[in-house]
Amino acid sequence: MATFNTTTDTRAKAKIIARNLEMRFENKHLFSADELVFEQNHVIHLQGDNGCGKTTLMKLLAGFIQPTAGTIQAQGFSVAPWWRSNSITGKAIYLHQHPYLFEGSVMYNLTYPLRFLSTDKQLLKARIEQAIDKAQLRHLLTQAASSLSGGEKQRLAIARAWVIQPKLLMLDEPTSNMDKHSQHLVLQMIADLKQQGTGMLISSHQTCMLTKVCDHAWLICDKTITSGNISANQDMANAHIDVSTRLNVSIG
Amino acid sequence: MNEGWLALIQQALSLLFSLDPEVWSIISVSFSVSFAALAITLLPSMVLGFLLAFTRFPGRWLVTNLIQTLQSIPTVVIGLLVYLLLTRMGPLGDLKWLFTQKGMILGQMLICAPVLVAMSQAAFTSVDRRAWETSRTLGAPALSAIWAVCRELKVPLLLAIVAAFSRILTEIGCSMMVGGNIAGVTRNIPTAIALETSKGDFAQAIALGLVLLVLALILNFALGTLRGKAEPRSH
Repeated sequence: MATFNTTTDTRAKAKIIARNLEMRFENKHLFSADELVFEQNHVIHLQGDNGCGKTTLMKLLAGFIQPTAGTIQAQGFSVAPWWRSNSITGKAIYLHQHPYLFEGSVMYNLTYPLRFLSTDKQLLKARIEQAIDKAQLRHLLTQAASSLSGGEKQRLAIARAWVIQPKLLMLDEPTSNMDKHSQHLVLQMIADLKQQGTGMLISSHQTCMLTKVCDHAWLICDKTITSGNISANQDMANAHIDVSTRLNVSIG
Repeated sequence: MNEGWLALIQQALSLLFSLDPEVWSIISVSFSVSFAALAITLLPSMVLGFLLAFTRFPGRWLVTNLIQTLQSIPTVVIGLLVYLLLTRMGPLGDLKWLFTQKGMILGQMLICAPVLVAMSQAAFTSVDRRAWETSRTLGAPALSAIWAVCRELKVPLLLAIVAAFSRILTEIGCSMMVGGNIAGVTRNIPTAIALETSKGDFAQAIALGLVLLVLALILNFALGTLRGKAEPRSH
């Protein structure tokens, strides 16, 4: 039986823990994993071939879909007010491979999440200004978001997440639409978030600029998810899943 | 166009611009009844459309098809049903709503709701799921995320509202049967047009017809402008 759950000790590092995870679509077994821990201060490279379930795993951790079996638990997040559910949705921000931008201007999209934050407005305003500069969006602010190029959309989506200063962030194939310039700008924002302690899960089936900032790796292979450390200076193409810390491999 | 036609149109315009009390009372009844029916049904119908689009439950297929069928039932049949409900011997006879505006509102609600539900379900079904997911993942509570999705669908949802409003504002069968076409009480634009035409008083019928025509033009141009601004979405 699949369950979602949230505990609210804000002193602990924010983390999402999936246990005894199994995902099936009808009779097709997609993947399984005994335990996965996605936590602050960890930047994880999620690897796997096309169609192996990287996006599905991220959507599970984002709370958009339910696993066929297993539990997904969030820890270290603040308590939601009594009138709001304490579901896992919204705990780890998920950025789609093709980011969704709301109808309206670039500025509207950038400021969209602010209404859900209780942070000081002046602070947020300053952060918006920083995000505009970091993503080089100033000349596009009044433009319709739908008219942006693929790379600009991706920069806007990441800037929108950067403004929130999330505890956990998931990026699904973030560089698939980007040229070198956009990749460079995004890398700066990602590095900045890493410095702030944001835990990140970056999916990519190949190495790129962004995957070099990763210090952990999850690999979906043979319908099983394995996790382990990755040395910071190691080329991700030769990513080595540390067998000694490999967690609870199960065969699907 | 011959002189007779010109004279009729002149008379019709004169009735409208001289604020003829009878003509404007008819217009007032029409709009107040239809606005009330639309206002009452709007939110529950949209919620039902949303649920039919986003949730899966036993009998969903049946409900969807029943609503589609209700859309195509002639208004006179709905009028007959409401008449039987409200007649003195009917199950709602104690309400004494027959030949009142309340009765007309009830009838128009039954005409309006299936259009709203079916069209909003179609709109919600067509929505990009990423709109909901993006809103939720950026911290929006469920209600705010629903609002964000509705904002993305403002053109098809407004189309649904306009289609439903047009249907009830122009329907005659139910209004005639349930309202009874009582002057100053339940006489609305379609029943008045039918009556005045049968009496040969074309000027008033044309005046009322012009009101509907102008309304249709305003609504469609407004929607056309909105639709023009909405850009097709791509990845």
